[in-house]
Amino acid sequence: MKDFISKKGIYIAVAAVVVAIAAAISVAVSGGNSGFANMLSEPFFKPIKGAMTSLVGSLEHIYDYMYRYDELQAENERLLARVAELERDYREYTEVSEENERLHKLLGFAERHEDIVMEPVSVISWTASNFSSSFTVSKGTSAGIAVGDPIVTANGYLVGQVTSATSSSCTVTTLLDTTFRVGAVIYESGDTGVISGDHQLMKEDRVKLAYIGDEANIMTGSTVVTSGSGGLFPAGLVIGKVSGISVSSSGLDPFAIVEPSADIGESAHLYVITDFAVSE
Amino acid sequence: MGKGKYATAIKLLILSPYLILIYILQSTVFTHLTLFGTKPMLLPVAAVGIAIFRGRVEGGVFGLFAGMFMDMSYNQPTIEFTLILTFTGILLGALSDTVLVRGFPSYLLCSALQLAICSASQILVMTVTQSIPIPALLPVALRQTAYSLILSLPFYYISRFLTRLI
Repeated sequence: MKDFISKKGIYIAVAAVVVAIAAAISVAVSGGNSGFANMLSEPFFKPIKGAMTSLVGSLEHIYDYMYRYDELQAENERLLARVAELERDYREYTEVSEENERLHKLLGFAERHEDIVMEPVSVISWTASNFSSSFTVSKGTSAGIAVGDPIVTANGYLVGQVTSATSSSCTVTTLLDTTFRVGAVIYESGDTGVISGDHQLMKEDRVKLAYIGDEANIMTGSTVVTSGSGGLFPAGLVIGKVSGISVSSSGLDPFAIVEPSADIGESAHLYVITDFAVSE
Repeated sequence: MGKGKYATAIKLLILSPYLILIYILQSTVFTHLTLFGTKPMLLPVAAVGIAIFRGRVEGGVFGLFAGMFMDMSYNQPTIEFTLILTFTGILLGALSDTVLVRGFPSYLLCSALQLAICSASQILVMTVTQSIPIPALLPVALRQTAYSLILSLPFYYISRFLTRLI
């Protein structure tokens, strides 16, 4: 066996074990960091990845233009017809718009969160894993970002949470990931639950609202916001809307299926909430 | 330090831009270029190619760094794939040095084995740490293995070309 693997092979295997132990120690020591290799390599790869991501984005636009031109033209004609239809429905639209504005005021995000401090960030790269949902953003601890900070869109829709950070970048685990958990409340009814990622729902860009109880009054279309319990997330961040009700495989635990309001896969510019006043 | 050691180090240095390029591709372009919503694993098949054509030492070292980059592209500590790709690199390289014929069938078989081990490891970690049932994870594992295996074809020719070059 020794001849089969060779002495050098054994040295290389030992080196791999040392690297793994060093990574485990660095994660344990730094708490939530994704290891020394990420920290060391980030300054080198960050600009390359950023440039490549921008390039891929541009290529996608060119692809859309070249291969979807006819489709877009047809869609444009349909939309023109739709505009005429919408003009007829203008009055109704205005009423809906006013109601929407009123609901936003009711949510009172801005009023209740004047204390929020946000740091704008750009997405550098997405995880290559099919079993998780996370991405790396352009700023890290030097910009005041810390592990556990929530991250939202410009509208204040929740996207995820910072799970590891270096001085120049950080990794965000999205609410679609199976490890993500946040206390939530149904805005209309006040019923509470826990938003968590689910492997089956991840591919459909949906999440699960679990621990809702049998008596909960949850309707399709209800708005789900963060409860603020635990103090990790500000209360009132919009998570999404209920798109259905289901039960666990055991048939005992009902849960709501929630469609996130944030367009998670498409968001390029986001905001990390670095500070907020905890309101219990 | 003998001349041979320098030669191996130089060969590995020549291979490093290839490794970095695959890492960049895997963590940027191929996170968008999905097949049925599934992203491929490029680094494991590239590591197989080097192990098959270069043997246990270069296969092991390339596997070590490919594994570290693989873990980094998954935003996780350099443990899981660092160990897997190093050990499979040494093992496949040793097999290639002794009993395996250095041809496409061997490469394809070893790539399938490598991808199956990587997927099995991911399933094991998720099942143990998050109690997700295996049947829920299997379809994704199969899709990513199939997609990666399709993309393994160019890596066979690139590995063979690089081997002849150095």
